Amino acid sequence: MDQYDVIVVGAGHAGCEAAYAAARIGARVGLCTLSDATVAHMPCNPAVGGTAKGHLVREIDALGGLMGLAIDAVGIQFKLLNLSRGPAVWSPRAQADKKLYGAWMKQALDREPGLDWIIGRAGRILVERGRVAGVALEEGGRIGCRAVVVTTGTFLNGLIHVGPETRAAGRAGEPASHALAESLKSLGFRWGRLKTGTPPRLDRRSIDFSRFEPAPGDEPPVPFSFMTEAIDRPQVLCHLLYTTGRVADIVRRHIGRSPLYNGQISGIGPRYCPSLEDKIMRFPDRERHQIFLEPEGLDVDETYVNGYSMSLPRDVQAELVRALPGLEDAVMLRPGYAVEYDFVQPTELYPTFETKRIGGLFLAGQVNGTSGYEEAAAQGLLAGINAVRRTRGREPLVIGRDEAYTGVLADDLTTRGCLEPYRMFTSRAEHRLLLRIDNADLRLTPRGREVGLVSDARWARFERRRERYERNRARVRRTTVALDGGKRLRAAQALRRPEVRLERLAAQGGLALEIAPGERHIDLASVETEFKYAGYLDRQQAAIARARRQEGLRIPGDFRYAGVPGLSREMVERLSATRPATLGQAARVPGVTPAAVAVIGAHVGRGAGSGPHAAAPAPTPGENRQPTST
Amino acid sequence: MYSPDDTIVAVATPPGRGGIGVVRVSGPAAAAAAGAILRAGHDLQPRRATLTSVVGAPDLERALDQVVATYFPAPASYTGEDVVEISGHGSPVLLRQIVEAVVRAGARLAEPGEFTLRAFLNGRMDLVQAEAVADLIEAVTPLQARVAFDQLEGTVTAAIGAIDAALFDLSARLEASIDFPEEGYHFAEPAAVAAETRSLQQRAQALLAGARAGRLVREGRQVVILGKPNVGKSTLFNRLLGAPRAIVTDVPGTTRDLLTETAEVEGLPLTLVDTAGIRRTADAVESEGVARARGALQVAAAVLLVLDRSRPLDDEDLALLHETAAADRVIVVNKADRPPVWDAADLQDAGPRVTVSLRDEADPAGVRRALAELLWAGEPLRDTPTLSNLRHIVLVERAAAALARAADAADAAAPEELLLADLQDARAALEEVTGKRTADDVLQRIFTRFCIGK
Repeated sequence: MDQYDVIVVGAGHAGCEAAYAAARIGARVGLCTLSDATVAHMPCNPAVGGTAKGHLVREIDALGGLMGLAIDAVGIQFKLLNLSRGPAVWSPRAQADKKLYGAWMKQALDREPGLDWIIGRAGRILVERGRVAGVALEEGGRIGCRAVVVTTGTFLNGLIHVGPETRAAGRAGEPASHALAESLKSLGFRWGRLKTGTPPRLDRRSIDFSRFEPAPGDEPPVPFSFMTEAIDRPQVLCHLLYTTGRVADIVRRHIGRSPLYNGQISGIGPRYCPSLEDKIMRFPDRERHQIFLEPEGLDVDETYVNGYSMSLPRDVQAELVRALPGLEDAVMLRPGYAVEYDFVQPTELYPTFETKRIGGLFLAGQVNGTSGYEEAAAQGLLAGINAVRRTRGREPLVIGRDEAYTGVLADDLTTRGCLEPYRMFTSRAEHRLLLRIDNADLRLTPRGREVGLVSDARWARFERRRERYERNRARVRRTTVALDGGKRLRAAQALRRPEVRLERLAAQGGLALEIAPGERHIDLASVETEFKYAGYLDRQQAAIARARRQEGLRIPGDFRYAGVPGLSREMVERLSATRPATLGQAARVPGVTPAAVAVIGAHVGRGAGSGPHAAAPAPTPGENRQPTST
Repeated sequence: MYSPDDTIVAVATPPGRGGIGVVRVSGPAAAAAAGAILRAGHDLQPRRATLTSVVGAPDLERALDQVVATYFPAPASYTGEDVVEISGHGSPVLLRQIVEAVVRAGARLAEPGEFTLRAFLNGRMDLVQAEAVADLIEAVTPLQARVAFDQLEGTVTAAIGAIDAALFDLSARLEASIDFPEEGYHFAEPAAVAAETRSLQQRAQALLAGARAGRLVREGRQVVILGKPNVGKSTLFNRLLGAPRAIVTDVPGTTRDLLTETAEVEGLPLTLVDTAGIRRTADAVESEGVARARGALQVAAAVLLVLDRSRPLDDEDLALLHETAAADRVIVVNKADRPPVWDAADLQDAGPRVTVSLRDEADPAGVRRALAELLWAGEPLRDTPTLSNLRHIVLVERAAAALARAADAADAAAPEELLLADLQDARAALEEVTGKRTADDVLQRIFTRFCIGK
């Protein structure tokens, strides 16, 4: 008898969601971590959310995960980004009290009776007959289990750089994992090496905040979770400042001492989150760059310098900090650093996050080449759910690109792989207008309920909210309102005018809407959007229907790409390595042309290169649960 | 449609006898196959015509013919693969034997359009160019050949590619504005976005402006000749064809059924339909002919209405004038060689008229010109690029419509993500034209238009 159904290795953002989800569903879970003092640690930015990342958090919450609840409990500044644009790209972001965040998460996990902490260092994945059998600890001892979720972040062969100093470490002050990296490599996975970085931390008491522009949050703060009524923790200010010509001069003078520029670092960093070195060297025309000073907690003295990540030597960093106007006397508590780490090419995974090579072995988070707590958490959640479903022989939970950012994430990673750290953007979601924060629950809570993750309390609340939503929509369709000109027309039509807002129609009387006090924002936005953008939404739905045809054509696992004429050797190699499950996935493998897709489709369609059931339609990766406006 | 064997062979010249006939071989085994059947097979220099002899079935021993063989190594060949072209004497028997010999050497017979499909799959040409190959081969008028060749040269591809590239650039800036709202940096100024979108829409519209003429040249039009009995319809038909195709007599009602022929008129490929003279009649056969003439009017793009100037206009003439009033028509006022009883000027507001004596004029140039002018409708074929293929036109129209929506949205200061939804639609449509993206079944449809050997 195995000791656990699922062992989760690592208790970062991916590991916490994976372990929680698996335990909630009823599995016996072992959560293996080096130390339970750094649970859900935030080694970089002390914040959750941001454009597209905020969408992921809403989706995690809608499915029954933890991240949204955690940040609502400990957030110290909330902001809804992109409010000047339409509701599809509104995205929440919040500063976290970093210490409290970890503590809250640990408590939440401690409350799960099916979850044990395993404090130790996972050294080896035990495999028997191509299937996971357990985990061996470096300290000795083997723990049997039926599925393993590896969420080791930047720890695999992690190497930290501060100027010429390097040391093996997964994060500041924490040892790297070498044995586990070797164990995973020995299983035959394709690897790559990436790099990311973090800025210096300053002592709050040494900063003259009166010199900066205050950057306040929203009042009242809008929560992340569909379960949160209101945020009552006191809110703090961030501060905005800018780099100067002097900063640029210092960087240029010392650029030869930057590991990024002298060849010391070979890993590939994220282009969209450039280090200070890159900002200065690659964008010489930009006069100045924004820097935000962000508190790491309510009663914490560490202050995060957002936008100032670097790996220059310690003395240069100190000089660069004091070169910023207002920070002349600032005390640097610890320098920024760059970290290089190994990652597994996520094309090694199914969209369930199970590896294709080893049954029962799942990988989630930064180990798959992603960056960001939110991306990690979303993967962890899906991996945790699917690990349990695997042990129970149930159909996996696969979420489609047209259902959620979470689905876009899973599909992008597993079909395209990573060339640089992968961060979610709204532009990655081709059906962006349908994947909004206001309808994340309508899209995903029923799916979370099906897999057993959504609690009765959440489900009851959701059902009330969904009924409210349906009734409100019916009212908008039915009710006529008078606009400024006095002419009466249906509210549904009035809303199509750019200047007409649902909130105002409701306020002027005549249109009675049901609004829950704590959910005003969501109630209004989800109804208004359906009418205001109806034309756009209909067109996106039509595009989804077209895409479904390709998604529905399943490619057999043993399909021989080499037998298809017209495919280049490179395409054959990529497709054979990636083994897309559907024609739609094949189309997204990099370097595969539409012409090639058409030819593959023709071959699959007539069953060439495979057995008799080649053309069986794939189960749709999730029906679109989007309520359609009628 | 395509089987996994990799080297293909076919006769590339038309069936039948000719001065020369060409066998084309393409694929990784092309050079080896040539080596097996050509006396000088292993010594073929790249891109150099070599005079040698070819051995054939059954035993690959006996020389069959003297041929000129040329080897085009990959990727600089028509298909992008190794290609050998063997030009022999144009005997169908001989060419078939050469093909058989190549098949024995490891190739298989090509499917229709497979050479061009391979060129497309190997990135030697895009979809527009592949379709232009078929158009060029099928061209029956010099204008058709000109338009197809321009497309093969890549003028349409370039025009669409330029719009697509500009759209990509604009989209990237709009996306950055959404995804990096806190950068404090304007990636795209709202006023500039509106102007840029409008200008892209106009570029798509400009492409479409030439499309009517392009379709006219590529597809031609059906033109029906109508009139009462014995006014000269069949004579006009014969004169336009340049051949006595229809029987012409003095007996009214000679033409009973529809006669259909294609003719090149002022460079346009037209389908001319001669019809029975329209009158009330008790004759069952003739009245069926009259019904068919009326039916032809329904589907024709233009009408040549023939009237006899030597006899007064009667009720039947007036009824026909009335019946065709809404159609695009040219009135052919015939029998100018006889004393007139009325004049073309009497037909006020009846549209273009030509007075002619079809009996005396072997080539009614006035009718041809008036008909062509009517069909061009004031939009002659312009300089390149010209869209002529309905598939391209529909897609560019879709792109232009999406761009119009985006431009309107930009004018109304709508948020970027809504503009982007339309820009995304526009790009998808444009990229479907060139094959950068394709719908599932489009390729199949396009390449089945080809005959074998192309």
